[in-house]
Amino acid sequence: MIAPTLSPASTGGPILRCSNVRKSFGANEVLRGISFEIPAGSVLTIIGASGSGKSTLLRCLNHLEQPTSGEVYLDGEPMGVRIKPNGTRVPDKAANIARKRAQIGMVFQQFNLWPHMTALQNVTEALIQVKGLDRAKAADLGRNTLAKVNLLEKADDYPARLSGGQQQRVAIARALAMAPKVMLFDEATSSLDPELTGEVLEVMRQLAQEGMTMVVVTHEMGFAREVSDRVIFLHEGQIDQDGTPEEVFVKPTSERCRRFLSSALS
Amino acid sequence: MSETLRQSLDLSLFWEYRYTVLAGLAQNIYVFLASAALALTLALFVGLSRVSRHRALRILSTGYAELFRNTPEFVLLIWVYYVLPILISKLLAAKFSLSPFLAAVLALGVAYSGFLSETVRAGIQSIPRGHVEAGLSLGMSRFTILRRIVIPQAIRRMLPEALSQFVSLFKATSIVSLVAVPDIMYQVSMINVDQMRPLPLYTGAALLFCLVIIAATQSINILSDRWRKRGWA
Ligand SMILES: Nc1ncnc2c1ncn2[C@@H]1O[C@H](COP(=O)(O)OP(=O)(O)OP(=O)(O)O)[C@@H](O)[C@H]1O
Ligand SMILES: [Mg+2]
Repeated sequence: MIAPTLSPASTGGPILRCSNVRKSFGANEVLRGISFEIPAGSVLTIIGASGSGKSTLLRCLNHLEQPTSGEVYLDGEPMGVRIKPNGTRVPDKAANIARKRAQIGMVFQQFNLWPHMTALQNVTEALIQVKGLDRAKAADLGRNTLAKVNLLEKADDYPARLSGGQQQRVAIARALAMAPKVMLFDEATSSLDPELTGEVLEVMRQLAQEGMTMVVVTHEMGFAREVSDRVIFLHEGQIDQDGTPEEVFVKPTSERCRRFLSSALS
Repeated sequence: MSETLRQSLDLSLFWEYRYTVLAGLAQNIYVFLASAALALTLALFVGLSRVSRHRALRILSTGYAELFRNTPEFVLLIWVYYVLPILISKLLAAKFSLSPFLAAVLALGVAYSGFLSETVRAGIQSIPRGHVEAGLSLGMSRFTILRRIVIPQAIRRMLPEALSQFVSLFKATSIVSLVAVPDIMYQVSMINVDQMRPLPLYTGAALLFCLVIIAATQSINILSDRWRKRGWA
């Protein structure tokens, strides 16, 4: 395993834990009490129909959305709240939230690369600004990480000159370079042309094999079945089916899940 | 008749007074540079406030922008030069006056900060939310994201719009002679008092303004082309 993916020593408990997470947008309750644990080195895949709350759930995990109630724990520590000595919970300081977010990598459907920076600069920016690495060290680490996603030769290109698949791999490298404890993928291949999804899935597969802890939202059922340790089927903000890929894909007990899968696979 | 026309269009008179005229033009450029710097600084703060997460800041800054965007520069100039000192004198209970130059810079700077803040706001809002979220997800602070991700991109998007605002600002410096800043229009009208030949004098002044603006616009176009070639814009 190459250095950038080495995660900081963890406490041995689950890397991420969700405890009865609820999220409403106005009157619309999008997440209705989600709980699960993600052990170190495991891959959790979340599937479900459009609007079932998959993205919202991922965004609650790194506090891009603040849960209306419930808790997310990163390596045993609550995300986004501070528990005062008298037991009351108050919103945490922005700097503390940022410090935890830096340990959670996120890959977006739309890549979200910064177009005014080269591929390498996209990867090194947070290393310099957040981790405080000097430019030379950051560039070294950045190149190593780009090499890992097979894009070393594109290091000095701007995103506009890269294909969608290449852009998404740079985005993965950008998250990976921070040596996160866990990586979140929100439909990383959904905005790619079919012939470009393979190269991105290949990088994700490799990460999973190297023991990266991952939460993956995807419509690629074959991929999900192959790499996941656990699969969750989300329906209207609740966990409707939950188990090993075998249990969810081959013999789902939920009628809804069965119907979703048959429509997704056809 | 055509002889008088030819004589009055004869720019040699303008050429004769070239040093006085150029000294005037220098004043326009000074006023322009100082008020552009003031306008840009104010516009950055006001523009950022307009997209702030704090409601009070948004309301205040929107009021500011609307007020100064909708007041004619000429009125503002007169107000700053004649009324503002009286108000401040009353407030301080001491004599206070503004030099013509300062009054001109203040009036034009504030007026154009209103226009420019609108450009800044639009530029910042044109940056996709996802760029900010990518930064947040990597643990960057909002301030770092603003400084490293949002503003550099917003500036590039704002450039054409801001450029035309600056051209207007430069043109607007031609009103500062009204408060006796010795600018090009002031010098030309002084020469005209002596010579009584407004045609060549004012035609020359118009041509000079035009020339300066075309030169400035062209060099900025070349610069932004270079940016585009690097895939930035
Ligand atoms: N910022 C927001 N404000 C208001 N409503 C929102 C917001 N974000 C999401 N929603 C609503 O929450 C619901 C779930 O959205 P979410 O994006 O989590 O679904 P999803 O499962 O990711 O769907 P998709 O497969 O289409 O990406 C939707 O009804 C959506 O309209
Ligand atoms: Mg989604």
